Amino acid sequence: MAVMKKYLLHILLFVLSGASSSMAQTYATGDHTVTVQISTITMVSVSVGAISMTITGAGVPAGQDQMTATNQSSQLQWGINSSSRKITAQTNLAAPQFTLKLLALNPTQGTAAAEVILSTTAQDFMLNIGRSLGNCTLQYTGVALASQGTGTDSHTITFTVQTQ
Amino acid sequence: MNNLAVKYGNRMGARILVLFGFFALGSLCVQAQQLSVQGGNQVLSVTTALAGQEPASATNTNSSLRYRRQALNAKITVATSCPAQKFTLRTLATGVTVGTAAPEVTLSNGMPATDFITNIPSGAGGFVTSTLQYTASATFAQGNSAEQGNDVHTVTYTLVAQ
Repeated sequence: MAVMKKYLLHILLFVLSGASSSMAQTYATGDHTVTVQISTITMVSVSVGAISMTITGAGVPAGQDQMTATNQSSQLQWGINSSSRKITAQTNLAAPQFTLKLLALNPTQGTAAAEVILSTTAQDFMLNIGRSLGNCTLQYTGVALASQGTGTDSHTITFTVQTQ
Repeated sequence: MNNLAVKYGNRMGARILVLFGFFALGSLCVQAQQLSVQGGNQVLSVTTALAGQEPASATNTNSSLRYRRQALNAKITVATSCPAQKFTLRTLATGVTVGTAAPEVTLSNGMPATDFITNIPSGAGGFVTSTLQYTASATFAQGNSAEQGNDVHTVTYTLVAQ
């Protein structure tokens, strides 16, 4: 009986010492849940508010009807966290006297569409820009024919992010 | 003699079980009191971006950690479980009056327990509270919750001997 008692006491000491040492390492825990939600964010902005282009005909060879002027002073910036997106461009001027073309130069993301003649119908300007932060230079080209005479066109250009 | 030993052994065994049960229960009660997260579950929403920049991060300081000194020098570690994590979440202890706040910790699913507050000196004393500052962020390239769902972290803080 004495042997049994000693044996059981050893078990008791072993169990208690083991439990104590494990408790000494970890005193307590606490937890909670933290939820991260990211809204759909679509940001497009133009770096310069207004651009003026003047077609003077300077440097045009004699006998040539078409005259042009080019402007690359502004940039388009975008930030889009949705997938499969493109940017279109259009003007509010329904019947321009002269032609205004637009092309994206040196895009940091995505693919530039071919140069477009701006109209009131939205046309592809930048493609494959889903989930990206990027920018490109806006190259505007005004085209006038000598036969069109003189005048002024005032465009408001709108860039729109759409599903591609 | 053998019958007596068995009978005695059974009674001792029962006593051991009872003692161990009380010990374990007592330990759990003591554990529960030593550290707790106050303020409940939290939600952080990233909603805006400035031109030319990644989305602005969101910060939340609506929860806190309540803990007390132990018999030995101690520290608090942090870990998270967030299956299929997509976005970035960081945590920082602010307003720490007992112990030393570790640098901000980036929480990643399955990460090992990482130091959060260290050098908590041993000794007596009441509870102290430190604010939990969470910061959530995501790049445009990381997408949004509408397409990919939210990240739901179970963030666990553990008070351990240092």
